[in-house]
Amino acid sequence: MSTQLQTSTPSTTEPSGNGGGAGRPPDDVSLGAWLRALPGRINRAIYRQAPEVFDNVKLLPYNLYKSIYRTTAFPKTERERSEAFFNSFLLHIQPAKIEKHALRFTYTFGLGLLSFYLFLILTVTGILLMFFYVPSTEDAYNRMLDLRSAVSFGMVMRGMHFWSANAMIGVVFFHMCRVFYTGAYKPPREFNWVIGVLLFVLTLVLGFTGYLLPWDQLAFWAITVGANIAGKADFISTQLASLGLPDYHFGVISKNILLGGDTVGQEALLRFYVLHVALLPSILGVLIVGHFWRIRKDGGISSPKESPE
Amino acid sequence: MKRVREEEIFPRNPNKTYGLMELVKGSSPRVDRGPDDMVSSWPHLLIREAILFAACFTVILALAVFDQPPLDKPADPTKPPNPAKAPWYFLGLQELVSYDAFWGGLGIPGILIIALMAIPYFDRHHSGIGRWFAKSRTTACFLFTVLFVIPTIALIIIGTYFRGPNWGFYSPWNMPLEPQTVLPFIN
Repeated sequence: MSTQLQTSTPSTTEPSGNGGGAGRPPDDVSLGAWLRALPGRINRAIYRQAPEVFDNVKLLPYNLYKSIYRTTAFPKTERERSEAFFNSFLLHIQPAKIEKHALRFTYTFGLGLLSFYLFLILTVTGILLMFFYVPSTEDAYNRMLDLRSAVSFGMVMRGMHFWSANAMIGVVFFHMCRVFYTGAYKPPREFNWVIGVLLFVLTLVLGFTGYLLPWDQLAFWAITVGANIAGKADFISTQLASLGLPDYHFGVISKNILLGGDTVGQEALLRFYVLHVALLPSILGVLIVGHFWRIRKDGGISSPKESPE
Repeated sequence: MKRVREEEIFPRNPNKTYGLMELVKGSSPRVDRGPDDMVSSWPHLLIREAILFAACFTVILALAVFDQPPLDKPADPTKPPNPAKAPWYFLGLQELVSYDAFWGGLGIPGILIIALMAIPYFDRHHSGIGRWFAKSRTTACFLFTVLFVIPTIALIIIGTYFRGPNWGFYSPWNMPLEPQTVLPFIN
Protein backbone atom coordinates (compact mmCIF):
# COMPACT_ATOMS: atom_id res chain seq x y z
CA MET A 1 0.00 0.00 0.00
CA SER A 2 2.65 2.48 1.04
CA THR A 3 5.02 1.67 -1.86
CA GLN A 4 2.25 2.27 -4.35
CA LEU A 5 1.48 5.73 -3.03
CA GLN A 6 5.09 6.77 -2.59
CA THR A 7 5.26 7.53 -6.31
CA SER A 8 2.61 10.19 -6.20
CA THR A 9 3.84 13.65 -5.25
CA PRO A 10 2.45 15.13 -2.04
CA SER A 11 1.45 18.37 -3.73
CA THR A 12 -1.04 16.66 -6.04
CA THR A 13 -2.62 14.40 -3.42
CA GLU A 14 -2.88 17.19 -0.90
CA PRO A 15 -6.47 18.39 -0.45
CA SER A 16 -6.79 21.99 -1.54
CA GLY A 17 -8.20 23.05 1.80
CA ASN A 18 -5.16 21.76 3.71
CA GLY A 19 -2.67 24.38 2.56
CA GLY A 20 -0.18 26.15 4.75
CA GLY A 21 1.90 23.16 5.88
CA ALA A 22 0.14 22.70 9.22
CA GLY A 23 -1.49 19.55 10.55
CA ARG A 24 -0.65 15.88 10.22
CA PRO A 25 0.01 14.23 6.81
CA PRO A 26 -3.04 13.02 4.91
CA ASP A 27 -3.79 9.30 5.19
CA ASP A 28 -2.88 8.51 1.59
CA VAL A 29 0.58 10.13 1.75
CA SER A 30 3.59 8.52 3.35
CA LEU A 31 5.16 10.37 6.23
CA GLY A 32 8.54 10.53 4.50
CA ALA A 33 7.19 12.21 1.40
CA TRP A 34 5.15 14.62 3.42
CA LEU A 35 8.16 15.56 5.52
CA ARG A 36 10.36 16.02 2.46
CA ALA A 37 7.84 18.43 0.94
CA LEU A 38 7.31 20.30 4.18
CA PRO A 39 10.24 22.78 4.02
CA GLY A 40 9.19 23.85 0.56
CA ARG A 41 5.65 24.40 1.65
CA ILE A 42 6.66 26.38 4.72
CA ASN A 43 8.96 28.40 2.50
CA ARG A 44 6.15 29.20 0.10
CA ALA A 45 3.81 30.06 2.93
CA ILE A 46 6.33 32.45 4.43
CA TYR A 47 6.94 34.13 1.07
CA ARG A 48 3.23 34.45 0.53
CA GLN A 49 2.25 35.75 3.97
CA ALA A 50 5.35 37.23 5.54
CA PRO A 51 4.85 40.78 4.28
CA GLU A 52 1.37 40.85 5.77
CA VAL A 53 2.52 39.39 9.11
CA PHE A 54 5.42 41.81 9.18
CA ASP A 55 3.02 44.71 8.68
CA ASN A 56 0.79 43.37 11.45
CA VAL A 57 3.75 43.26 13.82
CA LYS A 58 4.58 46.84 12.98
CA LEU A 59 0.96 47.90 13.47
CA LEU A 60 0.45 45.84 16.64
CA PRO A 61 0.59 48.75 19.13
CA TYR A 62 -1.81 50.79 17.01
CA ASN A 63 -4.21 47.87 16.43
CA LEU A 64 -4.11 46.90 20.09
CA TYR A 65 -4.96 50.47 21.09
CA LYS A 66 -7.71 50.69 18.46
CA SER A 67 -9.27 47.42 19.60
CA ILE A 68 -9.58 48.74 23.16
CA TYR A 69 -10.32 52.41 22.56
CA ARG A 70 -11.60 53.45 19.16
CA THR A 71 -10.81 57.15 19.42
CA THR A 72 -7.49 58.85 18.86
CA ALA A 73 -5.44 59.42 22.01
CA PHE A 74 -4.79 63.03 21.04
CA PRO A 75 -8.06 64.43 19.71
CA LYS A 76 -7.69 67.65 17.78
CA THR A 77 -10.98 68.40 16.06
CA GLU A 78 -14.21 69.12 17.94
CA ARG A 79 -15.63 65.85 16.67
CA GLU A 80 -12.66 63.85 17.96
CA ARG A 81 -12.86 65.62 21.30
CA SER A 82 -16.51 64.70 21.67
CA GLU A 83 -15.77 61.12 20.65
CA ALA A 84 -13.01 60.94 23.24
CA PHE A 85 -15.71 61.31 25.88
CA PHE A 86 -18.59 59.29 24.59
CA ASN A 87 -16.47 56.45 23.22
CA SER A 88 -14.78 55.97 26.58
CA PHE A 89 -16.40 53.79 29.20
CA LEU A 90 -14.86 55.74 32.05
CA LEU A 91 -15.57 59.18 30.62
CA HIS A 92 -18.97 58.70 28.98
CA ILE A 93 -20.85 59.39 32.21
CA GLN A 94 -19.69 62.98 31.80
CA PRO A 95 -20.95 65.31 29.06
CA ALA A 96 -18.85 65.80 25.93
CA LYS A 97 -19.51 69.53 26.10
CA ILE A 98 -19.66 71.49 29.32
CA GLU A 99 -20.69 74.98 30.26
CA LYS A 100 -17.80 77.31 31.11
CA HIS A 101 -19.55 78.26 34.34
CA ALA A 102 -19.42 74.66 35.56
CA LEU A 103 -15.64 74.68 35.25
CA ARG A 104 -15.09 77.64 37.58
CA PHE A 105 -13.23 76.28 40.60
CA THR A 106 -14.82 78.79 42.99
CA TYR A 107 -18.29 77.59 42.03
CA THR A 108 -17.94 74.00 43.29
CA PHE A 109 -14.43 73.92 44.81
CA GLY A 110 -14.38 70.43 43.30
CA LEU A 111 -15.96 69.12 46.50
CA GLY A 112 -18.25 66.52 44.92
CA LEU A 113 -15.52 65.01 42.77
CA LEU A 114 -13.12 65.27 45.70
CA SER A 115 -15.37 63.12 47.87
CA PHE A 116 -15.52 60.56 45.03
CA TYR A 117 -11.73 60.57 44.74
CA LEU A 118 -11.46 60.03 48.49
CA PHE A 119 -13.91 57.14 48.17
CA LEU A 120 -11.66 55.61 45.48
CA ILE A 121 -8.56 56.01 47.66
CA LEU A 122 -10.49 54.48 50.56
CA THR A 123 -11.57 51.52 48.43
CA VAL A 124 -8.05 50.79 47.20
CA THR A 125 -6.28 51.24 50.56
CA GLY A 126 -9.14 49.43 52.29
CA ILE A 127 -8.79 46.36 50.07
CA LEU A 128 -5.02 46.39 50.66
CA LEU A 129 -5.59 46.59 54.43
CA MET A 130 -8.00 43.64 54.24
CA PHE A 131 -5.03 41.44 53.27
CA PHE A 132 -3.49 42.07 56.68
CA TYR A 133 -6.47 42.32 59.00
CA VAL A 134 -8.37 39.70 61.01
CA PRO A 135 -11.68 40.71 62.62
CA SER A 136 -10.97 38.90 65.88
CA THR A 137 -10.68 40.42 69.34
CA GLU A 138 -7.49 38.43 69.88
CA ASP A 139 -5.76 39.22 66.60
CA ALA A 140 -7.04 42.62 65.47
CA TYR A 141 -4.79 44.74 67.70
CA ASN A 142 -1.69 42.66 66.90
CA ARG A 143 -2.46 43.12 63.22
CA MET A 144 -2.45 46.89 63.78
CA LEU A 145 1.00 46.56 65.39
CA ASP A 146 2.10 44.45 62.42
CA LEU A 147 1.12 47.28 60.09
CA ARG A 148 3.64 49.41 61.96
CA SER A 149 6.52 46.96 62.05
CA ALA A 150 6.12 43.98 59.73
CA VAL A 151 4.07 45.02 56.69
CA SER A 152 5.77 47.01 53.91
CA PHE A 153 4.17 50.44 53.69
CA GLY A 154 1.65 49.27 56.31
CA MET A 155 1.47 52.64 58.00
CA VAL A 156 1.19 54.46 54.67
CA MET A 157 -1.81 52.28 53.78
CA ARG A 158 -3.45 52.77 57.16
CA GLY A 159 -2.55 56.47 57.21
CA MET A 160 -4.07 57.09 53.78
CA HIS A 161 -7.19 55.17 54.78
CA PHE A 162 -7.46 57.10 58.05
CA TRP A 163 -6.93 60.55 56.55
CA SER A 164 -9.14 59.91 53.52
CA ALA A 165 -11.95 58.74 55.80
CA ASN A 166 -11.74 61.79 58.03
CA ALA A 167 -11.35 64.11 55.04
CA MET A 168 -14.31 62.50 53.27
CA ILE A 169 -16.66 63.27 56.15
CA GLY A 170 -15.63 66.92 56.06
CA VAL A 171 -15.65 67.15 52.26
CA VAL A 172 -19.12 65.58 51.95
CA PHE A 173 -20.43 68.01 54.58
CA PHE A 174 -18.99 71.02 52.77
CA HIS A 175 -20.23 69.66 49.42
CA MET A 176 -23.72 69.61 50.93
CA CYS A 177 -23.27 73.21 52.12
CA ARG A 178 -22.11 74.24 48.63
CA VAL A 179 -25.17 72.65 47.03
CA PHE A 180 -27.46 74.44 49.46
CA TYR A 181 -25.85 77.88 49.21
CA THR A 182 -25.91 77.78 45.40
CA GLY A 183 -29.55 76.61 45.30
CA ALA A 184 -28.49 73.52 43.36
CA TYR A 185 -31.05 71.26 45.06
CA LYS A 186 -34.05 72.97 43.50
CA PRO A 187 -36.28 71.21 40.93
CA PRO A 188 -35.46 69.15 38.93
CA ARG A 189 -32.66 68.14 41.30
CA GLU A 190 -34.76 67.39 44.42
CA PHE A 191 -34.21 63.67 44.42
CA ASN A 192 -30.48 63.97 43.85
CA TRP A 193 -30.35 66.07 47.03
CA VAL A 194 -32.18 63.24 48.85
CA ILE A 195 -29.63 60.73 47.53
CA GLY A 196 -26.92 63.14 48.67
CA VAL A 197 -28.30 63.28 52.24
CA LEU A 198 -28.34 59.46 52.29
CA LEU A 199 -24.75 59.43 51.04
CA PHE A 200 -23.78 61.82 53.86
CA VAL A 201 -25.42 59.58 56.49
CA LEU A 202 -23.81 56.47 54.97
CA THR A 203 -20.40 58.16 55.01
CA LEU A 204 -20.82 58.81 58.75
CA VAL A 205 -21.91 55.22 59.40
CA LEU A 206 -18.98 53.88 57.37
CA GLY A 207 -16.63 56.00 59.44
CA PHE A 208 -18.25 54.76 62.62
CA THR A 209 -18.05 51.06 61.68
CA GLY A 210 -14.41 51.46 60.64
CA TYR A 211 -13.56 53.18 63.92
CA LEU A 212 -13.96 49.93 65.91
CA LEU A 213 -11.68 47.78 63.77
CA PRO A 214 -8.26 48.68 65.31
CA TRP A 215 -9.65 47.31 68.58
CA ASP A 216 -7.74 49.73 70.79
CA GLN A 217 -9.05 51.63 73.82
CA LEU A 218 -10.05 54.59 71.61
CA ALA A 219 -12.09 52.33 69.31
CA PHE A 220 -13.67 50.18 72.00
CA TRP A 221 -14.99 53.03 74.12
CA ALA A 222 -16.05 55.19 71.19
CA ILE A 223 -18.23 52.38 69.87
CA THR A 224 -19.55 51.71 73.39
CA VAL A 225 -20.65 55.35 73.56
CA GLY A 226 -22.12 55.22 70.05
CA ALA A 227 -24.00 51.99 70.65
CA ASN A 228 -25.42 53.41 73.88
CA ILE A 229 -26.93 56.23 71.80
CA ALA A 230 -28.76 53.55 69.76
CA GLY A 231 -30.01 52.16 73.08
CA LYS A 232 -31.82 55.43 73.75
CA ALA A 233 -34.57 54.29 71.37
CA ASP A 234 -36.07 52.72 74.50
CA PHE A 235 -37.67 56.13 75.00
CA ILE A 236 -40.10 55.46 72.13
CA SER A 237 -41.18 52.05 73.41
CA THR A 238 -41.52 53.40 76.96
CA GLN A 239 -43.77 56.18 75.65
CA LEU A 240 -45.81 53.62 73.72
CA ALA A 241 -46.00 51.44 76.83
CA SER A 242 -47.41 54.37 78.80
CA LEU A 243 -50.22 54.50 76.23
CA GLY A 244 -51.15 50.93 77.09
CA LEU A 245 -49.15 49.05 74.43
CA PRO A 246 -46.68 46.32 75.40
CA ASP A 247 -43.10 47.52 75.99
CA TYR A 248 -41.01 46.39 73.01
CA HIS A 249 -37.67 47.80 74.28
CA PHE A 250 -36.69 49.31 70.92
CA GLY A 251 -33.38 50.49 72.33
CA VAL A 252 -32.37 47.07 73.58
CA ILE A 253 -33.37 45.54 70.25
CA SER A 254 -31.51 48.06 68.10
CA LYS A 255 -28.41 47.88 70.31
CA ASN A 256 -28.50 44.07 70.10
CA ILE A 257 -28.86 44.17 66.33
CA LEU A 258 -25.90 46.53 66.11
CA LEU A 259 -23.58 44.75 68.56
CA GLY A 260 -24.82 41.15 68.43
CA GLY A 261 -24.96 41.29 72.23
CA ASP A 262 -25.26 43.61 75.19
CA THR A 263 -21.69 44.86 75.05
CA VAL A 264 -19.01 45.48 72.44
CA GLY A 265 -17.29 42.13 71.87
CA GLN A 266 -16.33 39.59 69.22
CA GLU A 267 -19.81 39.59 67.63
CA ALA A 268 -19.82 43.39 67.41
CA LEU A 269 -16.35 43.39 65.81
CA LEU A 270 -17.45 40.85 63.20
CA ARG A 271 -20.65 42.77 62.45
CA PHE A 272 -18.86 46.08 62.11
CA TYR A 273 -16.24 44.44 59.90
CA VAL A 274 -18.77 42.94 57.48
CA LEU A 275 -20.75 46.19 57.41
CA HIS A 276 -17.58 48.20 56.87
CA VAL A 277 -15.90 46.15 54.12
CA ALA A 278 -18.85 44.70 52.21
CA LEU A 279 -22.39 45.86 52.84
CA LEU A 280 -22.07 49.62 53.37
CA PRO A 281 -19.47 50.23 50.59
CA SER A 282 -21.72 48.35 48.14
CA ILE A 283 -24.73 50.47 49.06
CA LEU A 284 -22.59 53.61 48.92
CA GLY A 285 -21.25 52.60 45.49
CA VAL A 286 -24.74 52.05 44.08
CA LEU A 287 -25.93 55.40 45.47
CA ILE A 288 -22.86 57.18 44.04
CA VAL A 289 -23.63 55.78 40.58
CA GLY A 290 -27.25 56.91 41.00
CA HIS A 291 -26.06 60.34 42.16
CA PHE A 292 -23.85 60.76 39.06
CA TRP A 293 -26.55 59.46 36.73
CA ARG A 294 -29.04 61.96 38.11
CA ILE A 295 -26.60 64.84 37.55
CA ARG A 296 -26.64 64.05 33.81
CA LYS A 297 -30.40 63.41 33.69
CA ASP A 298 -31.10 66.69 35.50
CA GLY A 299 -29.10 68.59 32.90
CA GLY A 300 -25.61 68.76 34.35
CA ILE A 301 -24.58 70.77 37.36
CA SER A 302 -26.61 73.82 38.26
CA SER A 303 -26.09 77.03 36.32
CA PRO A 304 -27.19 80.65 36.80
CA LYS A 305 -28.84 80.39 33.37
CA GLU A 306 -31.57 78.29 34.96
CA SER A 307 -33.08 81.15 36.89
CA PRO A 308 -33.23 84.92 36.76
CA GLU A 309 -31.63 86.67 39.69
CA MET B 1 -38.06 84.42 11.61
CA LYS B 2 -38.69 83.95 7.98
CA ARG B 3 -39.61 80.47 6.89
CA VAL B 4 -37.84 79.12 3.84
CA ARG B 5 -39.57 76.71 1.58
CA GLU B 6 -37.20 73.84 2.18
CA GLU B 7 -38.96 71.44 -0.13
CA GLU B 8 -37.82 73.21 -3.21
CA ILE B 9 -34.28 74.13 -2.17
CA PHE B 10 -33.54 70.95 -0.22
CA PRO B 11 -35.67 68.10 -1.59
CA ARG B 12 -36.60 65.59 1.09
CA ASN B 13 -34.66 62.35 0.91
CA PRO B 14 -36.98 59.40 1.69
CA ASN B 15 -34.00 57.34 2.87
CA LYS B 16 -33.23 59.76 5.70
CA THR B 17 -35.05 59.98 8.99
CA TYR B 18 -33.94 63.58 9.41
CA GLY B 19 -34.25 66.61 7.24
CA LEU B 20 -33.82 70.35 7.13
CA MET B 21 -36.57 71.93 9.18
CA GLU B 22 -35.92 75.61 9.08
CA LEU B 23 -33.34 78.24 8.32
CA VAL B 24 -32.89 80.94 10.93
CA LYS B 25 -30.83 84.11 11.06
CA GLY B 26 -27.83 84.14 13.35
CA SER B 27 -24.08 83.89 13.52
CA SER B 28 -24.04 80.22 14.53
CA PRO B 29 -22.06 78.05 13.92
CA ARG B 30 -19.38 80.06 15.65
CA VAL B 31 -15.72 79.17 15.63
CA ASP B 32 -13.89 78.31 18.87
CA ARG B 33 -17.01 78.97 20.93
CA GLY B 34 -20.10 76.82 21.03
CA PRO B 35 -23.59 78.10 21.67
CA ASP B 36 -24.36 78.90 25.32
CA ASP B 37 -20.70 79.22 26.29
CA MET B 38 -20.06 75.51 26.02
CA VAL B 39 -16.56 74.16 25.71
CA SER B 40 -15.27 70.68 25.00
CA SER B 41 -14.89 68.51 28.07
CA TRP B 42 -11.67 67.35 26.47
CA PRO B 43 -9.37 68.86 27.57
CA HIS B 44 -10.99 71.58 29.68
CA LEU B 45 -12.83 69.36 32.18
CA LEU B 46 -10.41 66.44 32.04
CA ILE B 47 -7.31 68.46 32.90
CA ARG B 48 -9.05 70.01 35.91
CA GLU B 49 -10.16 66.60 37.13
CA ALA B 50 -6.65 65.22 36.71
CA ILE B 51 -5.13 68.13 38.64
CA LEU B 52 -7.71 67.72 41.42
CA PHE B 53 -6.90 64.03 41.74
CA ALA B 54 -3.17 64.69 41.82
CA ALA B 55 -3.65 67.32 44.53
CA CYS B 56 -6.00 65.10 46.54
CA PHE B 57 -3.66 62.12 46.36
CA THR B 58 -0.62 64.20 47.25
CA VAL B 59 -2.22 65.74 50.32
CA ILE B 60 -3.53 62.39 51.60
CA LEU B 61 -0.17 60.70 50.98
CA ALA B 62 1.70 63.51 52.74
CA LEU B 63 -0.64 63.34 55.73
CA ALA B 64 -0.21 59.55 55.89
CA VAL B 65 3.57 59.83 55.82
CA PHE B 66 4.03 62.78 58.18
CA ASP B 67 1.10 62.40 60.58
CA GLN B 68 0.37 58.80 61.43
CA PRO B 69 -3.05 57.73 62.68
CA PRO B 70 -3.39 57.12 66.43
CA LEU B 71 -3.25 53.68 68.03
CA ASP B 72 -4.12 53.52 71.70
CA LYS B 73 -3.51 50.68 74.15
CA PRO B 74 -5.36 47.42 73.39
CA ALA B 75 -9.08 47.47 74.12
CA ASP B 76 -9.82 46.68 77.77
CA PRO B 77 -13.49 46.51 78.78
CA THR B 78 -12.49 46.83 82.46
CA LYS B 79 -10.69 50.17 82.05
CA PRO B 80 -13.05 52.84 80.71
CA PRO B 81 -11.38 56.18 79.99
CA ASN B 82 -12.94 59.29 81.47
CA PRO B 83 -14.49 60.72 79.43
CA ALA B 84 -15.12 58.04 76.81
CA LYS B 85 -15.54 59.94 73.56
CA ALA B 86 -17.21 58.90 70.31
CA PRO B 87 -15.46 59.55 66.95
CA TRP B 88 -15.09 63.31 66.39
CA TYR B 89 -17.95 63.48 63.87
CA PHE B 90 -20.35 62.05 66.47
CA LEU B 91 -19.15 64.32 69.31
CA GLY B 92 -21.90 66.78 68.43
CA LEU B 93 -24.38 63.96 68.99
CA GLN B 94 -22.66 62.98 72.25
CA GLU B 95 -22.86 66.61 73.38
CA LEU B 96 -26.60 66.62 72.66
CA VAL B 97 -26.99 63.29 74.48
CA SER B 98 -25.49 64.88 77.58
CA TYR B 99 -28.52 67.20 77.68
CA ASP B 100 -31.19 64.65 76.85
CA ALA B 101 -30.54 61.00 76.08
CA PHE B 102 -33.32 60.26 73.58
CA TRP B 103 -33.89 63.65 71.98
CA GLY B 104 -30.18 64.39 71.75
CA GLY B 105 -29.11 61.03 70.39
CA LEU B 106 -31.99 59.98 68.17
CA GLY B 107 -34.89 62.44 68.18
CA ILE B 108 -33.19 65.61 66.98
CA PRO B 109 -30.76 63.87 64.55
CA GLY B 110 -33.62 61.85 63.05
CA ILE B 111 -35.80 64.92 62.58
CA LEU B 112 -32.79 66.78 61.16
CA ILE B 113 -32.10 64.14 58.50
CA ILE B 114 -35.76 64.01 57.46
CA ALA B 115 -35.90 67.81 57.42
CA LEU B 116 -32.78 67.98 55.23
CA MET B 117 -34.28 65.53 52.75
CA ALA B 118 -37.54 67.51 52.71
CA ILE B 119 -35.90 70.87 51.88
CA PRO B 120 -36.17 70.70 48.06
CA TYR B 121 -39.83 69.69 48.26
CA PHE B 122 -40.73 72.84 50.15
CA ASP B 123 -38.22 75.35 48.79
CA ARG B 124 -39.13 75.02 45.13
CA HIS B 125 -38.93 78.61 43.94
CA HIS B 126 -36.78 78.90 40.85
CA SER B 127 -34.56 81.75 41.91
CA GLY B 128 -30.92 82.12 42.70
CA ILE B 129 -29.86 78.80 41.19
CA GLY B 130 -26.19 78.61 40.31
CA ARG B 131 -25.03 81.56 42.45
CA TRP B 132 -23.45 81.61 45.87
CA PHE B 133 -25.66 83.29 48.49
CA ALA B 134 -28.08 84.74 45.92
CA LYS B 135 -29.90 87.84 47.19
CA SER B 136 -33.29 86.26 46.55
CA ARG B 137 -32.36 83.38 48.86
CA THR B 138 -31.12 85.29 51.90
CA THR B 139 -33.71 83.76 54.24
CA ALA B 140 -33.04 80.20 53.10
CA CYS B 141 -29.27 80.64 53.43
CA PHE B 142 -29.69 82.26 56.87
CA LEU B 143 -31.92 79.46 58.18
CA PHE B 144 -29.67 76.70 56.83
CA THR B 145 -26.63 78.34 58.42
CA VAL B 146 -28.23 79.01 61.79
CA LEU B 147 -30.18 75.76 62.12
CA PHE B 148 -27.73 73.28 60.58
CA VAL B 149 -24.23 74.44 59.70
CA ILE B 150 -23.30 76.45 62.82
CA PRO B 151 -24.85 74.05 65.38
CA THR B 152 -23.19 71.04 63.72
CA ILE B 153 -19.74 72.61 63.75
CA ALA B 154 -20.14 74.28 67.15
CA LEU B 155 -21.32 71.13 68.92
CA ILE B 156 -18.46 69.09 67.46
CA ILE B 157 -15.95 71.73 68.60
CA ILE B 158 -17.45 71.81 72.11
CA GLY B 159 -17.49 68.02 72.34
CA THR B 160 -13.95 67.73 71.08
CA TYR B 161 -12.13 70.53 72.89
CA PHE B 162 -14.29 71.63 75.81
CA ARG B 163 -15.38 68.37 77.40
CA GLY B 164 -13.28 66.66 80.05
CA PRO B 165 -13.78 64.12 82.86
CA ASN B 166 -17.41 63.31 83.63
CA TRP B 167 -18.33 65.34 80.52
CA GLY B 168 -17.62 68.48 82.51
CA PHE B 169 -17.02 71.77 80.74
CA TYR B 170 -13.34 72.74 80.70
CA SER B 171 -11.52 75.27 78.59
CA PRO B 172 -8.95 73.56 76.33
CA TRP B 173 -6.01 75.21 78.19
CA ASN B 174 -7.43 74.11 81.52
CA MET B 175 -8.18 70.48 80.60
CA PRO B 176 -7.16 67.96 83.28
CA LEU B 177 -4.26 66.02 81.77
CA GLU B 178 -4.68 62.89 83.90
CA PRO B 179 -8.36 62.03 83.74
CA GLN B 180 -9.66 60.36 86.89
CA THR B 181 -10.96 56.86 86.13
CA VAL B 182 -12.74 56.42 89.45
CA LEU B 183 -16.16 57.51 88.26
CA PRO B 184 -16.59 56.47 84.65
CA PHE B 185 -19.24 58.45 82.89
CA ILE B 186 -20.50 56.82 79.73
CA ASN B 187 -23.55 58.14 78.04
